[in-house]
Amino acid sequence: MEFELEGTEKYALDSYQWLLERILLDMGITTMVERARLAIRPDRTLFIISLKIKHAGGKRPLRDIADIEAQGGGTFILIKDESYAPRLLSTLWRLYGRERVQQLTRLEIFVEDVPTAELSDIKMDPEEDVRSRLLDAMWRLLPEGLKVRREFYTDDVMTFVATEHGMNVDFIKEAEKVHQRMLQREE
Amino acid sequence: MYEVLMYDGGVHKIEELLNLIEDLGGFVLQRTQVQVQITLILTIPAEDRPLVEAKARELGGKIIEVPLAGTEIAVIGPTLGRHHMPHPICDIAEHLRRYGAITIVMGLARGRGRKTCQISASEKSIIEEYDAAIFMLGNFEECITHEKLNLFKDIQIPVVVVVGPEIESLPHCEALVCGIGRKVERMRRPEEIAKLEEIAQRVVEVIDERRKEIEEDPLFVHPSEVKDILEELGPVQECLRPAPIVLHVDGLRVKIPYQKHLKELEEVEVYGHKLKDIADISDCRLGDSTIIKIRTKAEVEGEVR
Repeated sequence: MEFELEGTEKYALDSYQWLLERILLDMGITTMVERARLAIRPDRTLFIISLKIKHAGGKRPLRDIADIEAQGGGTFILIKDESYAPRLLSTLWRLYGRERVQQLTRLEIFVEDVPTAELSDIKMDPEEDVRSRLLDAMWRLLPEGLKVRREFYTDDVMTFVATEHGMNVDFIKEAEKVHQRMLQREE
Repeated sequence: MYEVLMYDGGVHKIEELLNLIEDLGGFVLQRTQVQVQITLILTIPAEDRPLVEAKARELGGKIIEVPLAGTEIAVIGPTLGRHHMPHPICDIAEHLRRYGAITIVMGLARGRGRKTCQISASEKSIIEEYDAAIFMLGNFEECITHEKLNLFKDIQIPVVVVVGPEIESLPHCEALVCGIGRKVERMRRPEEIAKLEEIAQRVVEVIDERRKEIEEDPLFVHPSEVKDILEELGPVQECLRPAPIVLHVDGLRVKIPYQKHLKELEEVEVYGHKLKDIADISDCRLGDSTIIKIRTKAEVEGEVR
């Protein structure tokens, strides 16, 4: 992982770099971050963190991650890739409601009154999970007192700006600049 | 002056050591026995230490220095949130216990942040019940040298401040240790353990200084002598809390409710005086305990005249 540091206090920058590394390691997601940028200015109570996510491949259709079979008035799903199981279940609940989606065992799901063709077109995004875990890591890292926060995100870059009292235009502009710089480096 | 030491050895002929301590006018503060091994925290007159050391050698045990025994120290963080707990606050508290101190960990209600950090009067008075306080203040120099000073500015007990960045000095504190900022894992590397040792040394110095101040106008009785007498009290013997009596440099914390047992405590006789005449007894801010501050010899004798 590549780090870019910018700020007024060297100790704070170095220690927050170390803290981010340890938090990512602790959560087992070090390999999911390609680049990180920290801008810390304690004199203005400003903290900006921007992370670029490593590509984990595109969205995968349901037929890739599960065996789908038509069965008595519905569709039976046998999940092959366990890591998608929780998100698939919540997606099905969202689309068809809890009454129609039955979880038979940990990896077996039965959906009532839904044709196989409709289900096999559902696409699962592997980066959705990565994003939520990185978000958690960033919340862990941000100093506790900096409660006023704003975030910017595109597909691969997530940026957080945090301050203590009021978010002003300069802070937002600076965060946008950091976000854009991360995006440009990507191109 | 009394000195607090730890004996670590076997139970064989331990009665000989206990008798010697009693003959010297000393006390056993804590006795922990595991099968045939025994650990005693004892307090004896400093000039009689060679006698106790000789007896310990004879019994095949050893005497260990516990410079912070007989003290209760508060380790304070800006909050109890996961940003500050359990590391490094609990690591510091745990390390000080190895030096014999009883430590507590405390988080302020609104201690986080820069301009918004604050400490309430009730938090200050809780902290002031302890012998010393260690404040853990984080990674930002700008924040520590400007706003965070307010957290410990008016604290009336010795304060040791632990910060991340290298700062030459800070006002309103007795000692400063730099190099320990926010942590997300246990402090177990050699350089981190060296830092914990440094904190312990600073605390020992601060407590020694406090003990020397007390020596200039000595207490009427040593707190351990009062502890010995209070241990005979029924409510103390019935108390199920760990360490029902905790020693302070200038008094004790007795873990029985103040309101309920005040009369009983006031009437306890210590060397011909009632406890209320030789000590100030007050309610503990956290409740369910009683704080006893022993008056100095000059104060007690002045009143008698």
